[in-house]
Amino acid sequence: MMVIVVSRAPPRLRGRLAAWLLEVRAGVYVGDYSARTRERIWDQVLGGLEDGDAVMVWKAPNDQGFNFATAGRNRRMPEDFDGLKLIKFLPRQT
Amino acid sequence: MADMPGLPPPRPIPLKDRAQLVFVERAQLDVRDGAFCAVNADGTVTQIPVGGLAGLMLEPGARISHAAVALAARTGTLIAWVGEGGVRLYSAGQPGGARSDKLLWQAKLALDDKPRLRIVRRMFEIRFGEAAPERRSIDQLRGIEGVRVRETYSLLARKYGVAWKRRKYDPNDWDASDTPNRCLSAATACLHGLTEAAVLAAGYAPAIGFLHTGKPLSFVYDIADLWKLDTVVPEAFRVAAQAAKGKLDMSPERAVRLACRDTFRRSGLLSKIIPRIEEVLSAGELPMPEPPKEVIGPAFEDEGKSGDDGHRG
Repeated sequence: MMVIVVSRAPPRLRGRLAAWLLEVRAGVYVGDYSARTRERIWDQVLGGLEDGDAVMVWKAPNDQGFNFATAGRNRRMPEDFDGLKLIKFLPRQT
Repeated sequence: MADMPGLPPPRPIPLKDRAQLVFVERAQLDVRDGAFCAVNADGTVTQIPVGGLAGLMLEPGARISHAAVALAARTGTLIAWVGEGGVRLYSAGQPGGARSDKLLWQAKLALDDKPRLRIVRRMFEIRFGEAAPERRSIDQLRGIEGVRVRETYSLLARKYGVAWKRRKYDPNDWDASDTPNRCLSAATACLHGLTEAAVLAAGYAPAIGFLHTGKPLSFVYDIADLWKLDTVVPEAFRVAAQAAKGKLDMSPERAVRLACRDTFRRSGLLSKIIPRIEEVLSAGELPMPEPPKEVIGPAFEDEGKSGDDGHRG
């Protein structure tokens, strides 16, 4: 199981993702692929993201049961708590 | 809760469905929009899924608000205040004593010498994979265990190439210990935190031990020891060896916690620990006490169970 969420992504990337994944809400893509295919899809995101940002979540055999990766800048960025991955929410830039 | 209009308060989920521990230092813990979060000095907010964790360990420099403790209690999550390296100081969030039948059973087993010896023998069997020698007192068994544990320590130290003298630490002077001892302290702190959360969730008293006695966490040490030698001790020596070779790119304490998280997940500790507590106590071969006939039942029935036996609500 994998989920990709993109924001401010160019339309051609969104169209490309829809070739493999189901867009269940605006910018939210869901699918179920092998680890290798997941990485290939993520490479497409990294290549076509431009100024947007993206996050991918997938099921993984760790303590949390899932893992995630991010690309680009967002006010929500990953933070490591001794191996547990949480999200820090940055204050608004003034 | 009054500050959450329209939503019923959160209820505990079973321990086996949770992730392990989170250590927090230098942050203000508070509740925002009903979510448990850590606020850093620079205004960064990190939400912590408190109900999805077995426990939260607050290190020096952490501050926690009334609302945050209340939310942790609601979700049945243990909060422990710890010193450097996880030396436990004080805990709250889900106080024990939710199940009088289980507490009375545990006390009865501990007070009666025969069941107590049967339980200690069962723990010996689980730890060393063989039956305890016949006709030995608890003191004698404790002596045999001590020797075996020391042997295992020096064996593991040799296996990983760690210079090891003996287990020695001073909770008042953390930096005085050598690296292997500090790694061991950090590792056992993780195991004790998880075990305390499990003992409380199962509805038992942390202080009523069988092999260990006289400490606030005697039963926690009893249960933690069942896993200690094959989970956290090898990881502690492995990390200490890496530290001695200068191969660590982080503090030994942090490396130990990462290693413990992995080994606990591999051993399935969170799903095994409560059944194992029940198994050990059943070895006492005493039935659960029946409530006396003249006892008055509760005035109203509680809602259906959501978490483990020891969770309130």
